[in-house]
Amino acid sequence: MASFQELVSRYHQKVYMVILGLLHNRDDALEVAQETFFRAYRKIGSFEGGSSFYTWIYRIAVNLAIDAQRRQKRNPLDFRETMDGVLEAQEETARDPFADVHDRELRENLIRAINELTPEHKAVIVLRTIEGLSYKDIGDILGCSEGTVMSRLHYARKKLQDKLSAFL
Amino acid sequence: MRDCESIRQSIGRWLDGELEAPESESVRAHLASCAECGKAQQQLESIQQMLKKTLLAEAQQIEFLPFWRGVQLRIAQRTPWHEQALDWVRATFTLSRAAWLVPASIALILAILSLESYVPGWREGRNSFASVESIDAYGRNVALLRENESKTTVIWLYEDQEGENETADEPAKSAPAF
Repeated sequence: MASFQELVSRYHQKVYMVILGLLHNRDDALEVAQETFFRAYRKIGSFEGGSSFYTWIYRIAVNLAIDAQRRQKRNPLDFRETMDGVLEAQEETARDPFADVHDRELRENLIRAINELTPEHKAVIVLRTIEGLSYKDIGDILGCSEGTVMSRLHYARKKLQDKLSAFL
Repeated sequence: MRDCESIRQSIGRWLDGELEAPESESVRAHLASCAECGKAQQQLESIQQMLKKTLLAEAQQIEFLPFWRGVQLRIAQRTPWHEQALDWVRATFTLSRAAWLVPASIALILAILSLESYVPGWREGRNSFASVESIDAYGRNVALLRENESKTTVIWLYEDQEGENETADEPAKSAPAF
């Protein structure tokens, strides 16, 4: 149990980030992240050393998050509203107030734009952004080819760029 | 010289480091000389940075201990008792601990075997009275009585009356022979 605890402490924030990027709701993301580690604990015997642990745990997380998203009933705006408080606290020593307003606007529109993507497109953009994973690793996690990852990433970025160009 | 549209198709992969060296070099050279494509590159980088910053700020709010307790609770509530028992056995009898089990078992067996010499008669109890019964080659019963206090052993041979009655017409001897 101690070694499993060590794994959880090493990966819990990253797993949470991926799930939050897909769900945009803190409570749901926390629940799915804990469920991810519970499933990992139960299935640790089936983990094959051939793939990396993070690839394996992200695969569980993404699958659960996509399932949860399809069932999601809570208001996704909850994420955006509480998010502002967090970042304001972070940027207390902040620079230019105009820059803050601009950043907040960009952030809100970014979250809205990401939320309009399909779960598969969100997954590639989040995995690439958070971990800087290679296309091969992302393909392993999502169960698709590198070519599919590449085209999904290109499509998702184009969509985000089109929607956010006014704020960039 | 590649056109802007073709370069913009590749900017994402270039940022991701997924282009081969010659193509990567041509994208880099184009971005250095084309303001429009350079702007597209900056936009993509800004989007990635903002997304990462936003999610990272959220993730940093997650404290480990409450998170871990939630995971533990799920494990405790949703794991059947026999799997929990197996987990306990696996956690307790790890390979390093099992290594101690062999010498410990040998020591225990030796201790039990040598107990007789330190505590005479411990196997028979304080009023040590033991008997062994068997049938010898002549069909007689043998009783072995050992008394520890007087250190006396009595061997008692006698014939089974019921057995004799079944197999012989002669009456059985009633008294045992010493």
